[in-house]
Amino acid sequence: MSTENAPQSMYRSREGLGVWEHRGKVAAVGIGHGPTSRRWDGEADTSLGAISLIALRRAIEDAGVNPEDIDGLVMDERTTTGAFWPRGQELPWDVINAYNTTDAPLDGITQLSAEWILKNMPELTGNKFTIYGPGCMSNAIVVAAQAIGDGLAHTCLVLKAWHNLPGRYYQSGPNADDAIPGTPALRSLWGAPACYGTAIQFAEYCRKYGKNHDMMAPFISNSRRNGLKFPEGYWAQHRPEEITPEDYKAARWIAKPANLFDNDIPIMCSAAYLFTTAERARHLKQKPVYILGHASSRGQGRSFVPTLDEVEAECASSGRKLLEAAGITVDDVSFENLYDGFPQFHQFHMEGIRYRGVQPGEALDFYQTDISISGPNPVSPSGGNIGSGRSRFWMHTDCIQQIQRRAGERQVTGVEPVIGVSGGPMPTGGNFTCWSATPDY
Amino acid sequence: MILISFDIDGTLEEGDPPGVLTMDFVREVKGHGFLVGSCSDRPISAQRAMWERHGIEVDFTVSKHMLEDVKADFEAEVYYHIGDREDLDKRPAEKAGFEFLWPHEATDRPWSEGT
Repeated sequence: MSTENAPQSMYRSREGLGVWEHRGKVAAVGIGHGPTSRRWDGEADTSLGAISLIALRRAIEDAGVNPEDIDGLVMDERTTTGAFWPRGQELPWDVINAYNTTDAPLDGITQLSAEWILKNMPELTGNKFTIYGPGCMSNAIVVAAQAIGDGLAHTCLVLKAWHNLPGRYYQSGPNADDAIPGTPALRSLWGAPACYGTAIQFAEYCRKYGKNHDMMAPFISNSRRNGLKFPEGYWAQHRPEEITPEDYKAARWIAKPANLFDNDIPIMCSAAYLFTTAERARHLKQKPVYILGHASSRGQGRSFVPTLDEVEAECASSGRKLLEAAGITVDDVSFENLYDGFPQFHQFHMEGIRYRGVQPGEALDFYQTDISISGPNPVSPSGGNIGSGRSRFWMHTDCIQQIQRRAGERQVTGVEPVIGVSGGPMPTGGNFTCWSATPDY
Repeated sequence: MILISFDIDGTLEEGDPPGVLTMDFVREVKGHGFLVGSCSDRPISAQRAMWERHGIEVDFTVSKHMLEDVKADFEAEVYYHIGDREDLDKRPAEKAGFEFLWPHEATDRPWSEGT
């Protein structure tokens, strides 16, 4: 069996496509998270594969679906951006052989194929469709939504998992070599910290609009506060530490003007959702959360780091595409969970869609107002990556839970949670979803 | 007077990952009358909360890059920073004019005899 990446035809990456043809016909009905940890401890029952099986089975149970009825699996095979098995280090055969294997020995440890999942979930007897939505959950979600809408599957698991290994992130694998072909050599081998490109864009943003780094403090504090209310999150589980404005302003620079707390912490985690048709969703355990539309950004920067102008133009286009696909205006959006890892992305995404009418250059002023979950303008109620660690999926879980009113302590109280938007990661390359309490909003 | 700055993660038992230095060790050196505190990448509020949790009154809690400020603020004959990272502890400590010790070197040292 070979699983392919989703074709570009499954993404809505142009403006002018109109309302999504499957608007309100696909719903999220189940959520499952695996255990979250900082790094893998080398045991079989905490491996990437193990925590992903837990997440998938929890999503199935949460939805109240018979596993035999599941006919689709959408996921991402890559499970890291910076933690690679050290060359020459002996493979962990005891862990590998604790599960049904594929041709790739580290499948289930530092990568995760659909084949591995299906070999280790014998209960998925009805699966007939697998596809990869590469990069992150944002991608897998739009692919799964499109697949169900197009009739490629009717009941589909959506999975994203991340592994993390001992040692320093971004300093192993190809980055440990003496040479890398192409532009990654400039970026990874001889380059600056990962956040530097965003820091350059943010610096230009501050110059253009007369803002400063300290103005990010309320956003960071709010994000961590919300994240500490996310029971599955890293910080909530392992180090329940707030970031006060004082903490934020005192942190050391990583790539000025991006400091330590402008970076998210790499973790091991896994999340799964169960999507199905609106028709089937009506008969399941949880309140369905309908997908009104999805949109994708495929921006082409002219240079090594996208300029502020390119970022702003692309984010505005993504916002227009998402609203167009969903058939709503931004005034209909109850709350936003746009990506924050790096947090200096967030204002670009938020201004792009014009959340609460915020125009380019106004987000940092908006952060100085009440952006809490109890106010009228909740910003990132999930807390995102800053609130719970690098997963790129807290924002999606939160959208579903807010609308189902299952967000617990994070539940927004200042607005009716009717429509939420989530997505990312990059301002010039990502995938976005509009979620709704009703199929025909 | 001796001043000792402790890194947390990878250095103290409370760290993530835990280090070899116990809170009793910190109490012991403080009992010698030394100035003690933490210099870590953890939020300053979290550093303060950690010390309070253990009932240890410290003289300073600062972010990782602020050892020079500590030196400016406190008069001491010798300044030590104890940490577990070459790049984030040893080099900045030495640049700030601190003596640097790895955690295991700190436990082996006869602190009761002074410097």
